[in-house]
Amino acid sequence: MRTITLQPLRAFEVSVEAEAISPSRFARLTLGRIRTQEVFMGNRKMKLADLFKVEGDEPLAIPEETTVVMDGDFSKVKRIGEGMIAGTLEVRGNVGMRAGNGMKGGLMTIRGNADDWLGREMTGGKIVVEENAGSHVGSGYRGEKCGMRGGEIEIRGSAGDYLGEHMCAGTIRVKGDTGDFPGAVNQGGTIFIGGDTYLPGAEMTKGSITVRGKTTMLPSYQKAEVVTLEGVQYQKYVGDLVENGKGELYAATSSP
Amino acid sequence: MIIRGGIVYDPANGIFGEEMDLCIDRGRIVEDAKGEEIDAHNLLVMAGGVDAHSHIAGAKVNTGRIMMPDDARLGLEPATAVCRPSTGYTVPNCYAIGYRYARLGYTTAFEAATPILESRHTHEELEEIPIIDKGALTLFGSNWEVMECVREKDLGKLAAYVSWGLRASKGYGVKIVNPGGGEAWGFGANVKGIYDPVPNFDVTPAEIMRSLAQVNESLRLPHSVHVHFNNLGKPGNYTTAIESLDLFKDIKPSQTRQVVHVAHMQFSTYGGTSWNDFKSEAPVIVDYFNKNHFCTMDIGQILFGSATTMTADAPLEYGNAHLLHAKWSNNDIELEESSGVVPLVYLRKNPVNAIQWAIGLELALLTKDPWKVILTTDHPNGSSFVNYPEVVSLLMSKVKRQEELSNIHELASKRTTLPGIEKEMDWCDIAIMTRAAPARILGLEDKGHLGVGADADVTVYDLKPDEMDPSIQHDLVKKSLATAKYTIKGGVLVSRDGEITATPEGRTFWVDASVPKEDEERMMEDLKEKFDRYYSIKLSNYMVQDAYIPNPVVIKAGALPVEEVAP
Repeated sequence: MRTITLQPLRAFEVSVEAEAISPSRFARLTLGRIRTQEVFMGNRKMKLADLFKVEGDEPLAIPEETTVVMDGDFSKVKRIGEGMIAGTLEVRGNVGMRAGNGMKGGLMTIRGNADDWLGREMTGGKIVVEENAGSHVGSGYRGEKCGMRGGEIEIRGSAGDYLGEHMCAGTIRVKGDTGDFPGAVNQGGTIFIGGDTYLPGAEMTKGSITVRGKTTMLPSYQKAEVVTLEGVQYQKYVGDLVENGKGELYAATSSP
Repeated sequence: MIIRGGIVYDPANGIFGEEMDLCIDRGRIVEDAKGEEIDAHNLLVMAGGVDAHSHIAGAKVNTGRIMMPDDARLGLEPATAVCRPSTGYTVPNCYAIGYRYARLGYTTAFEAATPILESRHTHEELEEIPIIDKGALTLFGSNWEVMECVREKDLGKLAAYVSWGLRASKGYGVKIVNPGGGEAWGFGANVKGIYDPVPNFDVTPAEIMRSLAQVNESLRLPHSVHVHFNNLGKPGNYTTAIESLDLFKDIKPSQTRQVVHVAHMQFSTYGGTSWNDFKSEAPVIVDYFNKNHFCTMDIGQILFGSATTMTADAPLEYGNAHLLHAKWSNNDIELEESSGVVPLVYLRKNPVNAIQWAIGLELALLTKDPWKVILTTDHPNGSSFVNYPEVVSLLMSKVKRQEELSNIHELASKRTTLPGIEKEMDWCDIAIMTRAAPARILGLEDKGHLGVGADADVTVYDLKPDEMDPSIQHDLVKKSLATAKYTIKGGVLVSRDGEITATPEGRTFWVDASVPKEDEERMMEDLKEKFDRYYSIKLSNYMVQDAYIPNPVVIKAGALPVEEVAP
């Protein structure tokens, strides 16, 4: 197993676009090459080593056997792990927007908070966030019809608005609450919300949303039977009828 | 500048693949010149391409951009020393439009529809499109003043309004879109045929089209009326097309050109009674064009992949959106038009899309005279203009057509005549369809040819026409046409092997037509009332000021007494 560690050399005031940081990109690069990878700070093109201290094992490895450990505050660093196909990425701190953008495989663990657009349009792999995530987790780019298409996102804290918007497949689990409109235009994804939420599943046509906490339902859902899942009683709804949808929505009938 | 030794195709001047040198001085083709030499030995040389129907600027293009942030993710190119950044594919940003036309070897493009009210926006965008020369056609088909003049049978007043409208919009010609339909749509209705009266106006689309065509000729405008027929995009609409064409039969052209140009004919060549028995009626339409010489068309080819339909035919867009469950927008343009935008994707395995694809090619291949049919994709309605080389390679190669037919829905082979068409176009046909004919149809005397005195818009393609067979090497045709080796615009090398080397500002053509003073006064009285009572803006703020056209080319035209032609 090859391990590469990154530490920020300073606190960033201007956002950094660093899609270069990914185990599958680093795997076949020497440390020297990794240090010269292109990143942008604002509109200035820079090298990775200008902003981060890069250390680790020199021998090359396959992506599956590469681990990137990021130690520090990366909340101003965007697009970490974009398009990663394999390997492990561990962030001991917060990450900026669009972490795991278009991720295809591998494991990304974020020990702190994630910002908006986490795992946007991801197709595979797994993202674990130990604290909270921002809005638009696993959703599509503005205007796109299809957001998350596969893989798994687990958020141990709470998440913002529009969780899994335009989701087509894959699974999102949130332990805490979410903001408004989770699973909007869901077309086949699976969402589990451990806490409270507001107006889930607007324009959902397929897939399922389960809400363990309190929720306010849209009027365009039809009540179905009461079901018991893992020992908890849920009222099942079908909708969104506005879109002639066949989505399934389970709302717990008692508070956790 | 001298372009040495190219194989020149200049059909307007009777040059069909001759090796010759082209001399350029001060932006014109001349007999003899000195200076920089461009080596084009054995390479294909044509005049700069002319696109007579393309939606490149104005309110609806911008609505498309707003509706599709996802489109802006495509086609990203960073700024260079000479270029500003490019974004977008079906609805690119202004800069990208100029650069991509130049790469394609096109040097002129006309925005196909702009309402007078939105013209300032259109010109603001045209101004930002680098390199190419341009112009905009002004919409008159559902305009209150037009319909009132038609109802009163006052063609003198109508001529005064058209002349004023062209000046107000700094427009180049008369565009008619679904005549009367745009107004009917304000009341949730549409006109169902050319003899179906427009609600509240008591005129028919037939009367609107005929009157505007008569006025177009009485004003001696350089371009004929440019018509998007009623019932466009509906199964069985070919009868509407033929009926509409018959309206123009006995109108005399004021110049040596057509009396009517039909926009994106493909969308009006549909047979059948529903989408289930949808089929091509291209042979009937083409037969009409082969027998009559007063009409021309552009094909409006569709290509598989994403497109954005945008038109002043708002009811059509509403129908599209509901049929395809797509996102949509409609816009009511006060007393003038209504319009809409719907993004969509044409699919190979969709029977309707496959037949539409075949119809465009049928129209181009069956029409005997290439001067009557010009190549467009009705950008971005059928496809982006960057895909013109794909259409050219299909027209030049039966093999490629057969390959594509075997990959698409089988009904394209059963409900069209495309599989049986042997014709393969040659470079001469292509030069006519993409340059010479569009320039002639638009009435642009200095465009589309390489005679002495013409604009020095020249394209050199990296293709040796004497050493290759386009019917087999269709991939090479497509690749070479997609990126011109050299594009010269107004005597300046603007693109070399796809790299933009200079970004001169293009010119904007518009037509200033004079009318008798008394007609104009009568018309202005009407107009003042309309602005006082209905328009959201004042007449004094309405005209597009000269400042919006930094490089104008004003073409003078003028009225003759209108002769009423017996119906």
